[in-house]
Amino acid sequence: MTDWLFTLVPIYGAWIIALATYLSCLAIPMPSSFLMLAGGAFVASGDLALSSVVLGAFGGAILGDQTGYVLGRKGGNFLARGAKRGGKRRALIVRARAFLDRWGVLSVFLSRWLFSPLGPYINFLGGAGGLRWSGFTLGSLTGESVWVVLYVGLGYTFSGQIAQVAEFAGDIAGLLAGLVVTFGLGAMLLRAARRHDRRVKAKSETA
Amino acid sequence: MSFALPAFWKRHKPLLLAFVLAVATTGFFAVKLVIATVYWSDPAHRDQHIEGWMTPGYIAHSWNVPPEVIGTELGLQPGGTPKRITLDDIARERGVAVDTLIQQIEAAIAASRGRN
Repeated sequence: MTDWLFTLVPIYGAWIIALATYLSCLAIPMPSSFLMLAGGAFVASGDLALSSVVLGAFGGAILGDQTGYVLGRKGGNFLARGAKRGGKRRALIVRARAFLDRWGVLSVFLSRWLFSPLGPYINFLGGAGGLRWSGFTLGSLTGESVWVVLYVGLGYTFSGQIAQVAEFAGDIAGLLAGLVVTFGLGAMLLRAARRHDRRVKAKSETA
Repeated sequence: MSFALPAFWKRHKPLLLAFVLAVATTGFFAVKLVIATVYWSDPAHRDQHIEGWMTPGYIAHSWNVPPEVIGTELGLQPGGTPKRITLDDIARERGVAVDTLIQQIEAAIAASRGRN
């Protein structure tokens, strides 16, 4: 499948890159990083124009982000209904909303390129969690710019070694995303443990 | 802290499982990164394999040889073929296997590098 996609890069150029970045913003597995690297390498070899590769990658990514956000917003009604029922889920949603209000734009920006495996989920969550559209779009435009310039630039510079660059970039992105999720869940666990301690203590005091 | 308590485990099972999964994923990528670093630090692994999706210009660029080396080997006239023709296209047009073309190009690159 990947090989088949690559044969399309020199033929359809920007279109295939745009399609890949669009779908990858919706959590559909696509070798979009590799295709952008290949696009950059084809610019270096004179087969493709820089402007078309950059515009294709950027256009696909921006449209993909917007689609993910809208899908999240539509699905978000479920969450809002769940929140009305109250209980544990409500507390979680309230916390998530507060987090998005404070860190939403930064999360969108960083999850475009530094923690890119998390990107599509942030799109859905941003839409579902009621992140303002203007803030989301600001993070998306700035973050995708960094992503596109970074990968097309790397492909252009290391055009002879895009397989290596793709592997390193993928591993580093996976590692960073893994670390962020690990620390986030770790913080949640720590908080839960403290709450649990307080409850146990309170119980033993009343007994 | 209540991490050791079974009651805590029971209450926060999904969160704990997600945490363990996140740690495992992070570890997986850390190991993969180390393996990739060791593998690619060997210069013998660094040249990019020639594949059917590449264009003659791309191969010349990535192997750092003049484009004419590839063009002459494949019998392409400058400006005679569409610019973005892949090895797969050339092989199909001529009814030969892509692997044959690749071997031919590799030999030409080796010869060109030997001359310099």
